[in-house]
Amino acid sequence: MKRFLLYIILTIFGLIVIFPFLWMLYTSFKPEHKALSLTISFRDFTIENFVKIIRNYSFGRYFLNSLIVSTLSGFFATLFAALAAYPLARKSFFLKRELTFLFLSSMMIPGLMYMIPQYVIVSKLGWINTYKGLIIPHLANVFGMFLLMQYYKTLPDAIFEAAQIDGASDLRIFLRIVIPLSLPVLLTCFLLTFQFHWNNFLWQLIVTTDEKMYTVPVGLAMFRSAHEEMFALKMAASTLSIIPISILFIVAQRYFIEGITSGAVKG
Amino acid sequence: MKKVIESYIFLLPFFLIFIVFLAFPVFYALWLSLHKVQDFYDVFGSLKFVGFLNYINLLKDYRFWWSLLITLYYSLLTIPVGISFSLLLASFLTSKLKGYNFFRTLYFLPYILDVFVVGIVWTLLYSSPYGIITRLLSNINLNIGGLLSNPKTALPSVAFAMVLKNAGFGMVLFLATMQNISPSLYEAAMIDGANPFQRFRYITIPSLKPVILFLFITGFIGTLSSFAEFFSMTGGGPGIVIGGKTLYSTETTGLYLYRRFESLDLGYAASISFVLLLITMAYSIFASRFMRERL
Repeated sequence: MKRFLLYIILTIFGLIVIFPFLWMLYTSFKPEHKALSLTISFRDFTIENFVKIIRNYSFGRYFLNSLIVSTLSGFFATLFAALAAYPLARKSFFLKRELTFLFLSSMMIPGLMYMIPQYVIVSKLGWINTYKGLIIPHLANVFGMFLLMQYYKTLPDAIFEAAQIDGASDLRIFLRIVIPLSLPVLLTCFLLTFQFHWNNFLWQLIVTTDEKMYTVPVGLAMFRSAHEEMFALKMAASTLSIIPISILFIVAQRYFIEGITSGAVKG
Repeated sequence: MKKVIESYIFLLPFFLIFIVFLAFPVFYALWLSLHKVQDFYDVFGSLKFVGFLNYINLLKDYRFWWSLLITLYYSLLTIPVGISFSLLLASFLTSKLKGYNFFRTLYFLPYILDVFVVGIVWTLLYSSPYGIITRLLSNINLNIGGLLSNPKTALPSVAFAMVLKNAGFGMVLFLATMQNISPSLYEAAMIDGANPFQRFRYITIPSLKPVILFLFITGFIGTLSSFAEFFSMTGGGPGIVIGGKTLYSTETTGLYLYRRFESLDLGYAASISFVLLLITMAYSIFASRFMRERL
């Protein structure tokens, strides 16, 4: 009985939290003239909104851009983070402590601070409306680097000593030992970077002015200011934009949650 | 020696990007904040050194001060309520329950979604006169109209949406910490006859203190950067007139910074971001002192 009550409470909380998205999904399948009707009816369900979004507007293109930006960023940011984390965790060299401190202290800086200077730098480099401009400024993922560094510190010394006795170079150790041993953490780092870029609305808004370079949220913003009253279409576009990241999260939620909690609880 | 050089080569890609796009911009923002765009058709070519003029103007800019107040109000609305709601979710979910993973995923999912998109969804719910929340409220005789177009309700409505969106984050941190509380503590308390509420109050809460403080600190730094939820839901409005001046009831400092950027007032915008940085640093130092003393 007690357990039953608990489930009811948990379900109510779940409904409260998820309700906006259920309503979004529901509205996105309704014809525009009924978009705001509150009578729940599934009779005139239609996929016309989704067809329109993809056919009449360039959301396909925006999707592709978001996918390219998020995937490439995720891959390179993780690679660079792992490359930096390995010597910082396992080697000793001049200025190591100072560098670690420098990287760590940058995490205190609010993201908004970067908007103006990064924008000017990217403009001067001629990277406005390019993938380079969308990707490269965010390739130093300090959070991911620390996640990996913490993990590399926990690896047993014996593995590295054995490899060094065999005369393996650092690159070889990195490729043959470090990478395979840290795949789950690398995946976490990739997923968090991917999610960051999928949602990196403000930066994408200011770096893209050419419609061909719009990402999903930017496309949605432009679509919204042009069609303020088309709720069903807006909801269809919103639904499309959150489907990929939601699926990714549901499939790999363990990695997301572990990454986010370990970073916060230890940090 | 060769080994040492190898370490530097490994660090190089990360280091270069870090220097160019994360370290240098802090100083570049300071440099920009001492300059003013003279010609809007040649923004970068016409930057002229003006000393502290931008900062002096900022001190006299009522819209800026107002935006700081709004930001503070927003953080007061979101942080305590957000932490309490996260704690509520975590406290019901903590027991070894069938469906634990399902509920955790459900509560956490909105957190990973884009703030801007979530805002668009909420504008539908809040819209007037047909939005579902508007109509539910008018059914119980609360005819407020569009919650987002009323200066009194606009900010709390955005705060409410964001609390629900972000509750999963705090919840997950609480859950992770709760799992580390030794069960023997609860057993001992039960033997002493403590009821569930007392156990929660005197064992769970104290163990969660570090997380609560962490959420307070990061929450405040987060609201200092808040932009997308307001850009998406209110655009800073609705306007209100106070003392003969038109002010925007949901224009946070982040949004105001963006507005100055939009009008290509780069030097001025840079001075706002630099002040934000100073506030964050002062707050972080204060907060970490506070944490060290309390823990």
